[in-house]
Amino acid sequence: MPENTCCVCGRPGVHAIGARWFCEEHHKTATHERRSAFGSVLGLIVALVVFVGVVYGLDTALQPVFTASTLLLTGVVLALVPAVVWLAFFYQQDRLEPEPKGHLFSVFVLGALLAAAVGIPLVEDVFNVPDWLYADTMTTILGGILVVGFVQEFLKYAAVRYSVYHSSEFDEATDGVVYATAAGLGYATVLNVMFVVNNGGVDLGAGVIYMAVVAMAQASFAGITGYFLGRAKFESEPLWWMPLGLTLSAAANGLFTWARGEVTRGGGTLSSGPNPWLGLVLAGAVAVVTLGVILALVRRNIKSALAAK
Amino acid sequence: MNTKPSLGDRYAEWAVIVVTVAALLAGWFVMNGVVGRTVPFESDGVSAAAPGGWKESKPAEGELLNVHELGSAGYETTYILSKLPVPQDGGAGTIASLLTLERATALTGYRVLGQREVTINGLEALEVSYVYIESNPDLTHAEIPAVVRGLDYIFVRDGNAVIATYHADQSDYEGGLDRFYRFVESIRF
Repeated sequence: MPENTCCVCGRPGVHAIGARWFCEEHHKTATHERRSAFGSVLGLIVALVVFVGVVYGLDTALQPVFTASTLLLTGVVLALVPAVVWLAFFYQQDRLEPEPKGHLFSVFVLGALLAAAVGIPLVEDVFNVPDWLYADTMTTILGGILVVGFVQEFLKYAAVRYSVYHSSEFDEATDGVVYATAAGLGYATVLNVMFVVNNGGVDLGAGVIYMAVVAMAQASFAGITGYFLGRAKFESEPLWWMPLGLTLSAAANGLFTWARGEVTRGGGTLSSGPNPWLGLVLAGAVAVVTLGVILALVRRNIKSALAAK
Repeated sequence: MNTKPSLGDRYAEWAVIVVTVAALLAGWFVMNGVVGRTVPFESDGVSAAAPGGWKESKPAEGELLNVHELGSAGYETTYILSKLPVPQDGGAGTIASLLTLERATALTGYRVLGQREVTINGLEALEVSYVYIESNPDLTHAEIPAVVRGLDYIFVRDGNAVIATYHADQSDYEGGLDRFYRFVESIRF
């Protein structure tokens, strides 16, 4: 990077954060906390819990009868709900400082494509994870982190790092979290659609809980990677920074896979667990805690950057 | 102020790729360790190297070991080790006939596909291959019944027969044979 040029747009830099230079405009954006980044995820968590309750309640009360094709179609539509809910919350809160819709949607689609073309085939066909992951506790944890966690989190990282990361639209401290969440929800959407298709449709009650859990978990772990990506863009970080971020998100992913299996006592598959609601509670708690920690870290970074101005 | 690009700026992408590849390699070792793992088994004078990480079911009457593989597509691949008393003047053929009669009444579409004498670890055994249909007894369960392939090795010694049984969905049967052969070769009694 040339000396004293803005690391976002290449114009002459007038302010520095650590070893990074910024022009006036991008120093403002780099130290701006986009509230919609966190509000939309919080909204997603609350909305998904309500969504699950409503669908579960309607399913129990009405006991609808589906044909095979309508069950499949209903499942696929339900699988899209988390992404639609998040985007709706994001744009609703983002009206005053809009992020380009095209970029956000592109990253979402890229996350989904990488999941379908690389992630799921690698995990299920090359590593045959369903055949051995739940052999014992240590295998579940190690396999969950080293294979499932690293594959999923690397692809979400790649969806951001090799697309929008170098564009001038990636110009705010929270953009890493926003775009990584979009990639995570793209990944989650494909996982949920595949779950529905592979089962030829799903039982609405248990299925909708599974989908909400997957969406919350994938968005949360992507948020960790996104925070590290944001810091790497706006502050010159050491060599180990980004690998550490990816390792932490992969570890959170793998530990969640194990913990979900433990709390639902279903060996990792919600459909076979006697109490999938506990999986939802766990996913909600993980999402809230992750969001809170990332928010606190972003605020601390912005504060110290402004103090050093 | 130092504006020289840091190592992180220049090589972070590569560092992430290296760490990911290293993690996947480690994951590959974990997978191989689990898939090829065996656990020692011994009961009623019969020992074997049973597959590790498989789920153990409560053995039925005459069975010493009943394990099945988690995550098998369709019918779960199953190994059963049984020990039965051999009727007087009987041999492996007698046991094979008894098993055929028993299975023909208990299993749907049971057919013996072949039978031959083999030698394993210096012991003579009778190899019986067969097929049957496994269907969920719950009539409300809308699923296509599975075609299950089976293979028995019947060893007879000192008035007892030790039977190693392999059941697998027909799509998994061929792929799982080598592992079953290793299991059979590990049997000592």
